[in-house]
Formats: sequence, structure tokens, C-alpha cells
Amino acid sequence: MDSNLPFLIIVASSRWKRLETHDVVIECAKISLDPAEASYEDGDSVSPQVSARFPHRVADVAASPYVDTQNSCGSATSTPYSSSWLMLLNMPGQPPQTLSPPSTRLLTEPPQATLWSPSMVCGMTTPPTSPGNVPPDLSHPYSKVFGTTGGKGTPLGTPATSPPPAPLCHSDDYVHIALRQATATPPKKEEKTDSAKPCLHRQPHLPNDRGLEELPGSKGSVTLSDLPGFLGDLASEEDSVEKAKEEAAISKELSEITTADTEPLVPRGGFDSPFYRDSLPGCPRKNHAATSGAQGASVNPEPLNSSLDKLGPDTPKQAFTPIDPPCGGADESPAGNRERQTSLETNILTPSPCKIPPQRGVGYGSGQPPPYDHLFEVALPKTAHHFVSKKTKELLKKAKGNAEEDYPPSTSPAEVLDRLIQQGADAHSKELNKLSLPSKSVDWTHFGGSPPSDEIRTLRNQLLLLHNQLLYERFKRQQHALRNRRLLRKVIRAAALEEHNAAMKDQLKLQEKDIQIWKVSVQKEQARCSQLQEQRDTMVTQLHSQIRQLQHDREEFYNQSQELQTKLEDCRNMIAELRLELKKANSKVCHTELLLSQVSQKLSNSESVQQQMEFLNRQLLVLGEVNELYLEQLQSKHSDTTKEVEMMKAACRKELEKNRSHVLQQNQRLDTSQKRILELESHLAKKDHLLLEQKKYLEDVKVQARGQLQAAESRYEAQKRITQVFELEILDLYGRLEKDGLLKKLEEEKAEAAEAAEERLACCKDGCSDSVTGHSEEASGHNGDTKPPRPGGSARASGTSRGGGGGRGGSSSELSTPEKPPIQRAGLFSSRWETTVGESATSIPTTVGSLPSSKSFLGMKARELFRNKSESQCDEDSVTISSLSETLKTELGKDPGVEAKTPPNLDGLHPSPPNLDSVGQLHIMDYNETHHEHSEG
Amino acid sequence: MTEDSQRNFRSVYYEKVGFRGVEEKRSLEILLKDDRLDIEKLCTFSQRFPLPSMYRALVWKVLLGILPPHHESHAQVMMYRKEQYCDVLHALEVVRFVSDATPQVEIYLRMYQLESGKLPRSPSFPLEPEDEVFLAIAKAVEEMVEDSVDCYWIIRCFVNQLNNKYREFLPQLPKAFEQYLNLEDSRLLSHLKTRSALSRLPYDLWFKRCFAGCLPESSLQRVWDKVVSGSCKILVFVAVEILLTFKIKVMALNSAEKITKFLENIPRDSSDAIVSKAIDLWHKHCGTPVHSA
Repeated sequence: MDSNLPFLIIVASSRWKRLETHDVVIECAKISLDPAEASYEDGDSVSPQVSARFPHRVADVAASPYVDTQNSCGSATSTPYSSSWLMLLNMPGQPPQTLSPPSTRLLTEPPQATLWSPSMVCGMTTPPTSPGNVPPDLSHPYSKVFGTTGGKGTPLGTPATSPPPAPLCHSDDYVHIALRQATATPPKKEEKTDSAKPCLHRQPHLPNDRGLEELPGSKGSVTLSDLPGFLGDLASEEDSVEKAKEEAAISKELSEITTADTEPLVPRGGFDSPFYRDSLPGCPRKNHAATSGAQGASVNPEPLNSSLDKLGPDTPKQAFTPIDPPCGGADESPAGNRERQTSLETNILTPSPCKIPPQRGVGYGSGQPPPYDHLFEVALPKTAHHFVSKKTKELLKKAKGNAEEDYPPSTSPAEVLDRLIQQGADAHSKELNKLSLPSKSVDWTHFGGSPPSDEIRTLRNQLLLLHNQLLYERFKRQQHALRNRRLLRKVIRAAALEEHNAAMKDQLKLQEKDIQIWKVSVQKEQARCSQLQEQRDTMVTQLHSQIRQLQHDREEFYNQSQELQTKLEDCRNMIAELRLELKKANSKVCHTELLLSQVSQKLSNSESVQQQMEFLNRQLLVLGEVNELYLEQLQSKHSDTTKEVEMMKAACRKELEKNRSHVLQQNQRLDTSQKRILELESHLAKKDHLLLEQKKYLEDVKVQARGQLQAAESRYEAQKRITQVFELEILDLYGRLEKDGLLKKLEEEKAEAAEAAEERLACCKDGCSDSVTGHSEEASGHNGDTKPPRPGGSARASGTSRGGGGGRGGSSSELSTPEKPPIQRAGLFSSRWETTVGESATSIPTTVGSLPSSKSFLGMKARELFRNKSESQCDEDSVTISSLSETLKTELGKDPGVEAKTPPNLDGLHPSPPNLDSVGQLHIMDYNETHHEHSEG
Repeated sequence: MTEDSQRNFRSVYYEKVGFRGVEEKRSLEILLKDDRLDIEKLCTFSQRFPLPSMYRALVWKVLLGILPPHHESHAQVMMYRKEQYCDVLHALEVVRFVSDATPQVEIYLRMYQLESGKLPRSPSFPLEPEDEVFLAIAKAVEEMVEDSVDCYWIIRCFVNQLNNKYREFLPQLPKAFEQYLNLEDSRLLSHLKTRSALSRLPYDLWFKRCFAGCLPESSLQRVWDKVVSGSCKILVFVAVEILLTFKIKVMALNSAEKITKFLENIPRDSSDAIVSKAIDLWHKHCGTPVHSA
């Protein structure tokens, strides 16, 4: 119990913080709820039990000499464990109180002793609380808590009989003293220890009352078994301050609730509780049990018989043998004390647990592993195992840490189980011994016969009684379990509320602190403010006085200034007056100055006038003298000179007039001549200009003409080229013809004629070209130069070479006679042309006929141009040219029209054109000769 | 004075809008109204501005000496020219060098050959390189000028100008090209040098044919405006600009053959921009165009 509750709240709280709220709820449900309990309401049949227990405690607290210590601890009851502790510890504390009647204790104690289980010692498994209801809870790690609490709850009445409380008290004793000594300084620990204090303080005394010295071993063993759980709790509690605070709050809450609940219920609980069964026989079951127990205890066989009859004789024994036997070893029970002395039953029941521990303690000391250790692995869930191992570890740590902790923490559930079994065996043997007591007197075994029937009946009745007792105890235990669970729930709720309360309180504290701080600061501020006010007041007064003084000063100054201003006004008036006077004086001065200057001017004027007068007077005198002298002279010379002078004058006048007219004339002449000059000059300029214009024009015309001439020249050049080409072509043709002639040598005459014609043509061409270009030597020379290479270069036939030679000769001859009559030439040309036409009629194209005419026309043009250029040169030739032009014109007119026909005038001139001989005779005889020579050569 | 400033203001405006030749056209008309055409002014004008296409033929003819500076004699001279053309053509027909089937360009070539006295003995004779040049130029001019007489004369005079006036300059152009390319993009030049493509660039196409056959006629005539007006340096800048425009492509090409081949057949769509840029570049490097002759 003591280990479980803290675990639930504190250890689990750390876990809860990690969990969601619904998880926490579920967890709590797991811990606290079971199907049987769910149906119960608060304040039912369970609450009486609780209430019944609390009065004891209160009374115990009041009665015990350790109340002071409890109070000094303060929160001993408020701590969560303290509540649980109280429950547990009050029970061991009860014996000294002596409030509960011993009879009840006797009745209740035996079943409690049987219910004691190893689980509560080692904190692992719950004892088999009830055959039907509880078993599912056994597997739960927390169910054992309730189981143990139930188990413990019942033995509360008899501290001597219940072994766990006693050892617990011892362990607490040791541990807490040690802890206090060790961890006196930290306040958190203090609190926790304080929470544990009540039990600690109380317990050391309890054993004293009971006679603790008698059984130190047993206490030691029990404490060891319980230590891990307790220490684990302590360790877990020490984890954080918050936890402790929360727990404190919860415990407070719980205590409040419990006290509130319990106090009104005191009478009821008192009646209901099995402990007060004597005073208030409310519960029939309990009464029955109590009566049966009492009967059993007082060894009244009769009432039991009826009950025994109903029950089966063998079954109760078989079922409850291990639990039942809390009879033997009554003398040895450590908690017996006074009660044991008063009643036999207590003696019978109590010794069993106390006896065994010493034996177990020895067994544990050896450190042998229990043979059924492996069964725990199977029976317990893993978490429980883990928990146990953790606890043991922590315990070990603690044990090491604490110097006073001498006990080895080797208590294992196996050992506890061993102890239990041993205990059972002891109880059984004791019961057997007890039973044998009444039959000793008879001693039927000694006679060897069957035991007497009443003997058996008593035994059966006893057995039944025991069974009933057991049943009752079980039921009670169940009720306790339920109540405990409910309480636990309340505890948790209370703990939560406490936590909240604590938090609120903390906040309140903080706020109060804040408020205090604020108050202090407000006070400070107020003080400062008042100080400032004072300063300000003093300042204000000072300033007021200053202001007053200054105002006074100001008034004085104002008066003074007014006075001064009036003075100033006076002064200003004075100054204005003075200024006016000054102005007047100034104007006067100016006036006087003006007058003065006028006077001085007048004076100077009058002086100058006087001087003039003097001068004039002097002049007058001198002139008068001169006049007198002249008068004298005049008078002497007047008569002679007048006539002469007059004559002279007249002559002079005449002369002057003459000269004047002359000058006029001259001037007129000059004008006219000048005009003339101007006119002439203008004329000259005009003429110059005209000249220039003329020149320009001339130049222009020249350029124009040159352009035209150039065009013409180019044309001429082109013509020349054309003729050359034609010549070439002709020569080529002739060459071919010659070739043909060579082939046809039969017609030699014809060939000769052809040659002649060829020659003629060549001559004619040369002549033509010469006649045209006769005036320009260059052209002819050029012609002469250019011609030879072509025929020479060609060098195809002898005919061509001959023609070339003829051409050359012709040119030379023609050059020698440039002034040949062109008509003749033209005639010659035409005749020749005729002959050529006649000779080679078919071979030469018809268009050729136009060629000479065009050529002649070109020549004429050239001549015209020349005449234009230099007329003087061409004067002589003008006639011939004109005639030539005429003839050519006629020629030109006829030529294009009739090509083959010979012109009539030419016909007239040359009677027989086809006659080759005449032609040869006419001009080209030598050519022929040369040709012949050439040909011959 | 006011008119001039107005004109300047307007020309700026026009250039902003994108019409370039409006003011130029007017000033050119003023120039052409002079009775005696100032050839120098015309030269400067055509160097400074692009010629309006409607006056291009006339200006070219004047600049190339086909027409004299006097308006009076234009008709007469043109008559001469035409007659000459007819004569030569006739002569060629007579000697059966050309026929109706002969392409016009070849006719021009033959005429030119005839006039320059270089007519081969037979039309089947293989063409000389200079004849190829002539043909390329002729083809370009044929596209530009409609009238065949004008066309022939322009071709003739243009080729003559190339052969006479620029005879000394043309061989120096590759050097100048290298120099300006170095100024504009030395990396490209070094690339060309490392690929040894510099000497193998189509200089003949660029400088002898004056880009005839390389650029489309519409762009080419703007270049030739400058050439006709006396500056053959523009050719260098056109070449430089071509390289700059196709720099990425050229840089990507590794072998000299490929570069040459690419440059001989550059895409025609960007030619207008090339020419514009080239003219700008020319103005940049050679300053305000002043008549060189």
C-alpha cells in the first residue's frame, strides 16, 4: 500500500505528463475500476468501514504521545502517502490506544493473519482475495496494492498479529531516520520525509510498546522485504519538487475530503465496522461472524454445531487449511503485549507471522535462490517484473548510499512465499495442538478406539467456525479493496485538485509578491512625488518672491522710462525748434551769398566797362589823330589819281569779264570732254565685256565644235576601222578567190582579170581614203602605217601582197598630187567601182555600193569642218570642194537607189568602164607594171 | 541663301524619312539646266550623291564624253554616234561577224573590237580575257540602259576609261584593299592571310570588271556612278564591305578555294546594303568626295 499509492500518483504522474488526458483516465480506470466496484456508490457499505477506521486514528492521534511530533511535522496527514500510511500505521498504532475491545481484535485478527501474502511484502502479486470476484485483478500490477491494502486493512485492529505493518514500521524507522540525517538540508526531501514522518515517529514507539526488543530479527526481515517498495517510492518522489507539491496538494485535498466524509459517518461506521461489533451489532453477517468467532474463541461448541451441520465436514478443511491456521505460537507474537495477556485468541492468532520471519531471515541470509523463481516469470506480467527489478536496483543503490542500511535487500517473492507456506504449516500445527487440548482429558487415542462423536462434532464445529470466519474475513477484505479503490480514485482527484490549488496558490503568491513590489514602488514614487512637490513649492515661492521683486523693479523702471520719455519729448521739441531756426538761418545765409555774388558780378562788370571805356577813349584819341593825318593827306593828293584809277578799273573789269567767259567756256568744254571720256570708257567696258563674251562664246563654240568634231572624228575612226575590216574581208575573199583560181588554172585570163580588178579596187580604195584624208597628214600617215602590217601580217596570198604594194604606191602618188580634180577622181573611182562590180558581180555584196559614197560624204564633211575651222586655208579649195560636194550629192542620191547601174555622167566621162586596158592606161599603168613585176617576181 | 538653307533643312528631313534623292534630283536638274554643262560639278555631284535613275544615262554620257557639254550639239553628236553605231554594226553584218542571232552583248564586243582594231579574223576565235571583261560590263550596262546606241557607247567609253584613265590605278587596288581591310577588320585579314586566300580573292571580278556580274545591276549602277565620275577607289570599299558583310561566312570557310568561290557568288539580296555601307565607308576614309580629275 505504502509503495503503491505514491507510485500511482508520483511515478505515474511523470508518466501522465507524457500521456494525453484520455490516456490518463484510462490508466486510472485500469487501476481503480473493477466490475464489482463499479456498482457501488460512495457512502455505501464500504464507507462505514472507512469511517470506523478514522475515529480510531483520530483518537489514536489524540491519545498518543507523538501527537506533538505529528503536528510539528504539519503536513504529515496531508501527504498522499500519509493518508495511506495513516491507514496502515494507525493499525499498528492501535494497540497502545487500547480503545478497540480486545475481543473484536481477537475475532478479526486471525483471518487477517491468514490473508497476509508475500505479494504485499515484495510488491508483486496480490493474494487470492476472493474466489469469485477478485481473481482477474490479481494479474494486474496494481491490483496487488488493493489486495494488500485489503489484507492490511483488516489487521489494523491488531498490530501485533499483522506482520507487514510491524516490519514496515521498522523499515520506515530505520530508513527515515537515516534519510533525515542524510538529507536534512533539501526542503523538498524534508517534505517527503515529513510525509513519511507520522509513521516513522509513531512506529518507533509502537514496537517499544509491544516490546520491540524481543523480536528484532523478525522486524529486520520484514523491513527488508518491504524496503524496495518504500525506497523506490522515496526515490521517485525525490525526482522533482513539483511532484511533491502536487502530492502535498492532493493529500491535503484528500485529508479534507476524508475528514469531511468520516466525521459525520463516525457513528455509522462505528456501528458497521467489525471492530465495534460489540457496541453496535448492525451487520448481521458480521455479528454472526463475530459471535461465531467469539464462540470459537471462547470454545463454545454448542452454537457451532448447528452451523457445522449445514456445511460439509471435509470441504472447509481442504479449502482453507493453508490460510486457517493462525493458532500456534501465540506466546511468540511480538505484538501481543497487553492484549495477548488478556485474551487467548490473540495469542493463538498473532504468533504465526512473527514466528516465521526469523526463520526466513536466516534463509535469506544464506542467499540461496528459491527453487520456484522461474514461476514468477510466467505468473507475473513483464511490467511487474520490470518494476520489481527496478525497485530492487533502486533499493540497492539506496542501501549502498546509506551507511546505516545494513540489511541486505535480497528479499524475493519466493522467499516470502516460503514464509507463507511455513506460516500456514505452523498455524495448522497450532490448531491441531489447540484441538487436541480438550480431548486430552479424554485421551481416546490412548484407548485405541474411535474418538468420541462429540469430539468429532466439536472439531467439525470448530472447523465450520473457522471457515465462516475465513469467509467473513474474505468478504471484509473485498469490501476493503473496493473502498480502497474508491478512496484511491478520490485521492487521485484530490491530488489533481491539490495540484491545481498549489498552482493557484503559487500564482497568488507571485501576484502578492508583485503587489508588494508595486506597493513598495508606489510608496517610493509617492515619497519622491512629495519631495518633488516640496521642491516645487519652494521653487514656486522663490519664484513668486522674485516675480514680485521684478515687478517692483519693472514699475520703477517704467516710471523712470516715462519720465525719460517726457524728457525725450521735450528734447525732441527743442530739437525741432532748433532745426527750424537752423533752416531759417541757412536760407538767410544762402540769400546773402546770392546777393554777394550778384554784387561782386556787378562790380566786375562795372570794372570791365570802365576798362573798355578807357581803351575806347584811347582809341578814339588815336583815330582822331590818324583821321587828322589822313585828312591832311587827302587834301593834298585828291586831284591827280582819280581818272587813272577809273580807267584802270574799267580795263580791269573788262578783262575780268573776258576771262570769266573764257573760263566758262573752258569749263563747258571740260565737262563735255569728261562726259565723252566717260562715254568712251563705258563703251570700252562694254566692248571689253562683249569681247569677253565673244571670247567665251567663241570658246564655247569651240568646245561645242570640238565635241562635235570629236564625235565626228570618232566616227571617222570607226569608219576607218570599218574600211579596214572591209579591206580585210575583201582581201580574204580575194584570197579565197585566188585559191579557187589556182584550182582552176584553166581560166587564167579570167584570173588575171580578177587580179587586175583586185588591184584596181585596192588602188581605188587607197585613192579614196587619200582624197578624204588628204588634208590631215596624220591620218594618211597613219593609214600608211597601219595598212602594211595587216596585209603583210596576213601574208596569205601573193595577190594581197600585191594589193598592199599597190596601195602604198597609190598613196604615195596621190600624196604627190593632192590637188587633183576630185571629179576626175570620183569618176575614176566610180568607174573603178563599176569595173569591180562588173568584174566580181556576185562575189561582192550589194551593200558595198554605199560605201564609197558614204566615204566621200564623210570627206566632204571633214572638209566643211576644216573650212569652218580655218576658212582662210580652205579658200582655194572651196570651189573644188563645192563641186565635189555637188557631185557627191548627186552620187549619194543615186547610189542607194541604183547600185548596179553606173551613173550617167560617169558613163559620159568614161565610155568603156569594163575596159581594163584603158583604166590601166589612165592612171595605174605603173601600178600595173609594178604589179606585174611583183607578180612576175 | 534662304533657298539653300531651306533646301538643307528639307534634305535633312527627307533623309530622315528615307527619301534620299529628292533634293539631289532637284539640284541635279539645276546642274543639267546649264547650257554648258559643268562636268566637274557633275562629277562632284555624282560622287557625293546617288544619281537619279532618270538622269543617270544622260549624266554618264556627259561624264564619259559621249555627249559634249553643250546642249545644242547634243542632238547632232548623238546623231553622229548613232550613225557610227549603225555603220559599225552594218560593217559587222557585212563581214558576217554578227547576225540576227548574235547576242547583243557579243555585237557590242565585236563593234568595240572593230573600233579598236582588234577584231579577230574569225568570230570563232577564242575570246581574250579582256573580251570577257568587256562582255561582263556590257551585260551589266545592257541591263541598265535601254537604248542600244547609248548602251554601246556607254560600254565603249566605260571600258575605255578603265583601260586608259584607270590603267595605272587598277593594279594598285588590291594593295589598297588589303590596307583598308586591315583598318576595318584586321582579324578577317589575318584569317585570309592564314588561309592564303588574300592573293586568290576575285580581284579580276572586283576591280577589272568593276563587280559586273557580282552585284545586281540596281546596286551596281550606284557603284559605277562613282567609277564613271572618276573614282575607282570605291571598288576597294565595295570589296571590303563585301568581306565585312560576309565576315562570319568567310571566317567559317577554311580553304582559299572555298572563300574565292563564295566571294565570286555572293548572295544578291544584301547587295544594296553592301553598296550603301561601302559608299559610307568610302566617304569615311576618303573624306568629302572631290573631283579627282
